[in-house]
Amino acid sequence: MIAHPVPAVRTYVLVWVALIVLLLLTLGSAFIPLGWGNGAINLAIAVAKSLLVIFFFMHLRSAHYMLRIAATAGFFWLAILLGLSLTDFAVRY
Amino acid sequence: MTEAVVIARQFDDPLQQRTASDLGMWVFLATEILFFGALFVAYTATRVHDPQAFAIASRLTNLTLGSINTGVLLTSSLMMALAVRSTKLGLRRASIAFLLATAALGTVFLGIKFTEYYLDWRDHLVPVIDFAHTGPHAGGVETFFYMYFFMTGVHSIHLIIGIVTMLVLAWMAKRRDFSPDYFTPVELGGLYWHLVDIVWIFLYPLLYLVSRS
Repeated sequence: MIAHPVPAVRTYVLVWVALIVLLLLTLGSAFIPLGWGNGAINLAIAVAKSLLVIFFFMHLRSAHYMLRIAATAGFFWLAILLGLSLTDFAVRY
Repeated sequence: MTEAVVIARQFDDPLQQRTASDLGMWVFLATEILFFGALFVAYTATRVHDPQAFAIASRLTNLTLGSINTGVLLTSSLMMALAVRSTKLGLRRASIAFLLATAALGTVFLGIKFTEYYLDWRDHLVPVIDFAHTGPHAGGVETFFYMYFFMTGVHSIHLIIGIVTMLVLAWMAKRRDFSPDYFTPVELGGLYWHLVDIVWIFLYPLLYLVSRS
């Protein structure tokens, strides 16, 4: 039998609590008029929630370096897709 | 555990075999990230074209149901993570229970989502079928709802696949297919479930929270 280092249940529950708190923060902040700040906060919180899910629930924190490279590549290409597509819109309006 | 894991001949040991499976799954997830990425680009392009229409349209979505659904999906991810953990530890009954809980919460999410679709239809907000919103930004509002239905629709299809996967995994766990030496299907199913959750994490603010203040 192979021994697997598994995180404690407590760790997972704490991550879930953090996710719910971030959900309430993004919901609450949406009602405060901050102009473009609302969108920025929403996106920042969405990124924070995603990182929690990726590092803890998807175990990328302790994953083999090949898996980290594959995951990073996915998001890197996404950055290219978003970045280059939006350069057009950034200058047109 | 007396039974040995079956190792395909191209692998040296179970760890290498498992890492190869995980790698394959992450490559698949990268294609999923890019697939949804294209939709997010389309969303951004149409939103930049008429930001006010997206502000108006976003206020027409059901914030209460959308927010509850986000909580439901985040909780389902916790159940999924605990299912993977239980399977790795060989806790068969806990593993089955957490897999079924994940499927159940996914089903609750879909139930709420389809309730929302019904309310949208009742409010004449469904493009092509019945869209009756008027005003200076009606065209942009309709575009928003095209994006809304397409993005949440594709997400729902992913969730349906996820729920079926969870039920199959629970059945496999019941059949004693998994052990602390072999849990790859649960691990990969978990990665898929979490990615579908992440897609919703971004859909939620982009569709429901554009302009609430």
